[in-house]
Amino acid sequence: MLKLHNLSKVYRTDEVETAALNSVNVEIESGEFVAIMGPSGCGKSTLLNIIGMLDSPSSGDYIFMGENVAGYNEAKLSNIRKQNIGFIFQSFNLIDELTVEENIELALLYHNIPASERRERVAHVMDKVGIAHRAKHMPSQLSGGQQQRVAVARAVVGDQAMILADEPTGNLDSAHGQEVMEMLQQLNAEGTTIVMVTHSPAHADYARRTINLFDGHVVTENLRAAE
Amino acid sequence: MFQNYIKTAIRSLMRNKLFSVINIAGLAIGLAAFILIILFVKDEFSWDSHWSRADDIYRLENTYIRVDQPDRASPNAVDPLKDIFFETFREVEDVTRYINGAMTLRNGGELFAQPVFFADPNFFDFFELTFLEGSADTALVNLSDAVISKRTAQKYFGDVPALGRTLTVRMGDEYRDYYVSGVVEDPKERSSVVHDFVVPFNREDFVGARWFTEDWRFAIRTTFVRFASGTDMDLIRAELPAIVERHLPKGQQGQENGRNWSMKLHLVPMQDIHLYGNDANADPDVLFGFVGVAVLILLIAMVNFLNLSMARTAHRAREVAMRKVLGAGRGQVVQQFLGESVLLASVALLLALAMVEVALPYYSEFLRTIVALDLMSQPALLGALVLLGIGVGVSAGSFQATYFAMLKPRDVLYSNTSADNGTSRLRQALVIAQFTISVALMIIAFFVNKQTDYARQLELGFKADNLIVLSGTNNRRSNEFKARLLESPFITAVGRSSDVPTEGSEDRLHIRPATGGEPVMLDGLPTDPDFFKVYEIPLLAGRFLTDTGVDVLRDRAEEPVYAPAANIVVNAMGAKLLGFETPEAAIGQQMPVDMSSTLRIDATIVGVVGDFHFDSARDVIRPGIYYVDFVRNSDMTVRIDGANREAAIAHIEQAWRETYPDNILRYRSMAELVESQYQTDDQLGDVLLAFTLLAVFISCMGLYGLASFTAERRTKEIGIRKVLGARLGDIVGMMIWQFSKPILIANLIAWPVAFYFLYSWLDGFAYRIELGLLPFIGIGGAALLIGWMTVAGHALMVARSNPIKALRYE
Repeated sequence: MLKLHNLSKVYRTDEVETAALNSVNVEIESGEFVAIMGPSGCGKSTLLNIIGMLDSPSSGDYIFMGENVAGYNEAKLSNIRKQNIGFIFQSFNLIDELTVEENIELALLYHNIPASERRERVAHVMDKVGIAHRAKHMPSQLSGGQQQRVAVARAVVGDQAMILADEPTGNLDSAHGQEVMEMLQQLNAEGTTIVMVTHSPAHADYARRTINLFDGHVVTENLRAAE
Repeated sequence: MFQNYIKTAIRSLMRNKLFSVINIAGLAIGLAAFILIILFVKDEFSWDSHWSRADDIYRLENTYIRVDQPDRASPNAVDPLKDIFFETFREVEDVTRYINGAMTLRNGGELFAQPVFFADPNFFDFFELTFLEGSADTALVNLSDAVISKRTAQKYFGDVPALGRTLTVRMGDEYRDYYVSGVVEDPKERSSVVHDFVVPFNREDFVGARWFTEDWRFAIRTTFVRFASGTDMDLIRAELPAIVERHLPKGQQGQENGRNWSMKLHLVPMQDIHLYGNDANADPDVLFGFVGVAVLILLIAMVNFLNLSMARTAHRAREVAMRKVLGAGRGQVVQQFLGESVLLASVALLLALAMVEVALPYYSEFLRTIVALDLMSQPALLGALVLLGIGVGVSAGSFQATYFAMLKPRDVLYSNTSADNGTSRLRQALVIAQFTISVALMIIAFFVNKQTDYARQLELGFKADNLIVLSGTNNRRSNEFKARLLESPFITAVGRSSDVPTEGSEDRLHIRPATGGEPVMLDGLPTDPDFFKVYEIPLLAGRFLTDTGVDVLRDRAEEPVYAPAANIVVNAMGAKLLGFETPEAAIGQQMPVDMSSTLRIDATIVGVVGDFHFDSARDVIRPGIYYVDFVRNSDMTVRIDGANREAAIAHIEQAWRETYPDNILRYRSMAELVESQYQTDDQLGDVLLAFTLLAVFISCMGLYGLASFTAERRTKEIGIRKVLGARLGDIVGMMIWQFSKPILIANLIAWPVAFYFLYSWLDGFAYRIELGLLPFIGIGGAALLIGWMTVAGHALMVARSNPIKALRYE
């Protein structure tokens, strides 16, 4: 699926230069479920952003589906991203002015899909995450768990091959957290590649591989035997 | 997709109702003000555009240039120029002329004042007027033909056909019958040629009148010239001086001034006559001033709109970031926000049009004119307004669109800090810009109104109240009429003169001072002995003139002649200019006075009167010389008893009917003449004040919106401050200071700008107020106070809120 080679990311402010990622080499196969762990500030989110093409590396290569996208401009990245990658955030990032249905549909609006097909796919995915009965509600009327389910639906409605989840359970209680993790596991079982940043070792256990980051380095990679 | 944009936009607006109302209403008010001003200005600039081939028609005007004398600008041209133009320019297609006479008309035993055109036969062809009765070919064939407008026909004959009916016009000493040979459409609004009553020009009617000449002495013919389309007018105009050079007779006997006078010819485009002709009755500078104010108000409203939209940026940033994550390209983001902005501007525009519609009647009254908005019949105006809406939307929306297009989703979706850091500086700058305009306008409006008040309170040097000015009495029954007037106990004095105050004098007389040296120039005014009495101009030394002996320079007679020597009166400035230290010193002094280049008389000063305004208050009082010349007493001024005004005027009317039964009485009030001098400045002052208040109001709306927004954004910060020990006063102080800074900076910029503008504006006044610092400080303080009052509510609300609630707020 993707391969990071000697990838570094340096943040510069007026006075300080911070290396968020330092010569990272990571390879993720299609259909994998990978968890990224590490203490605060170790570069987890930066890594996820670069994989998600929301940020560009300072140096190194990023080969995504056989293409080195490291030097691509925003428009090109945006195009690859919308075809292949879905996002789930800790704070859900639903648009307050749109209903559940409309939030999910938004992901299809930028794909030139006819309205009838959009409706079908939104209905289908809402069923799948169990939020169909809330279709006309506004995000503010939903619980956190429900909001995150909408976010998951939005991430997958475009048939994205890969989902990037940044602490998807961070704002949820354990019951709702588990619900979301099971949903992700289900999606992975259906063939979606999942890369997830998490603080929770329990939730990391859902992944087949864990990458541990520390100060911008990959420290260890643990592969869990299939159960 | 578009639906989605609109949905988001509308819901976002609904969520922030106060915000949205302020945003849209502010822009709507600004747009309405802009449209109102532009409508008025557009009307003023659209005079005479309705004539067919208006672009090819020019009015030929003459300005007399005399050495050491003011130029005399006439809207008319001298008689010979028509033939000369045909001979000189192949490009001249046609010329038409008329003499505009204020005539007395008799119909069914009643007298009417009726302006009459004594026109060339081609008048109707030239202006392509449509005949409702009769036709252009047969309209002015006979000397007794008259062509009247529809409304004139209505006025005299009602609804029955007017063709062939008789109307009687007083010509000289007799009444003459005219027969209606045609009825034409009414003169259009905003037309310089008001053709209500047109008769053929017949020189026999005018020969013998003092002012009627067929040479170059008097420009009496209103002359229109039509050139072939595409004529290079620069070439034509370049020829004009040579025409005067070739054809103007020099030093010929019988010329009013044989020596040193010349003439300038002007070809004024038909559509410029109203504003730039020699008799222009509007000031284009004032109109441009209005446009300036209109643009400033629109700018303030746009800044408001932009500012409030920017303030929402933080709120909308998350949405935009998410849209980008989901694949929205820059183009799509720009499209979304431009579209949203244009939509809002369009709503504001519709609202503005409604406001304009409601305001128009009051506005028209305020401007003493008729301003109308009729979009259906003016597609160009409609188009311009639509463009305005889109333009305002695009220019205000482009900032936001650009900001969002450049936004990196990562910065928003992962960050805890608010995203409006990038825009807060811009917002600050916009508030400064708004208040700069508001404060500058406030200062300018203040001083303009102060100057107008000041000019109004100026000592005129005479008492303008209760004075009635009559014309049409400069004839052999003048004395008899005057005596008849004085029979009434309600008429205290009657005086005559060639002109009256506010009109200015055109006579400049050269006098060699008693002390020797170069001749000096005084404004001459022919009067009768009672002139100073009626105007209550005080005598400083000596005596007034009488109507006998050496006091009379020229008496009314068959062949009036100037006396070789006469007594005169001067004003205090005149006495000083002639070299006398005190008024008393001037009395009894003799000196030669050049009445014209060919006439010198020996004058003896017998009286010195106080200085008084004879021109506009914009001009200085000039040194003056006054003498009794009964031939040139065309105005009669009557002082009436103010408490018995009605009775006095009734007596004047009665006396008039008895003395001049065949003429209509025309009179003016001196107080109104004086008042009308201030009208332009008054209007400027009123309009400035009204629109300044509007500008301040819009600015405050913006400030209010921003304050409410800041209050919302800063709850967390203020919560932290309170946890750390800040007191209520500290927080309110901090908020107030935050909003004071931009207003203070705005003052710093506005003061010099306003000062510079006012300094040059006041330069046009001979008697002017000084630009004190105090009003500047006062207005700056007022702006600050208004700002404080606007934000105080929000500051207090935020400062009072419970810190725990604020900190848990997410």
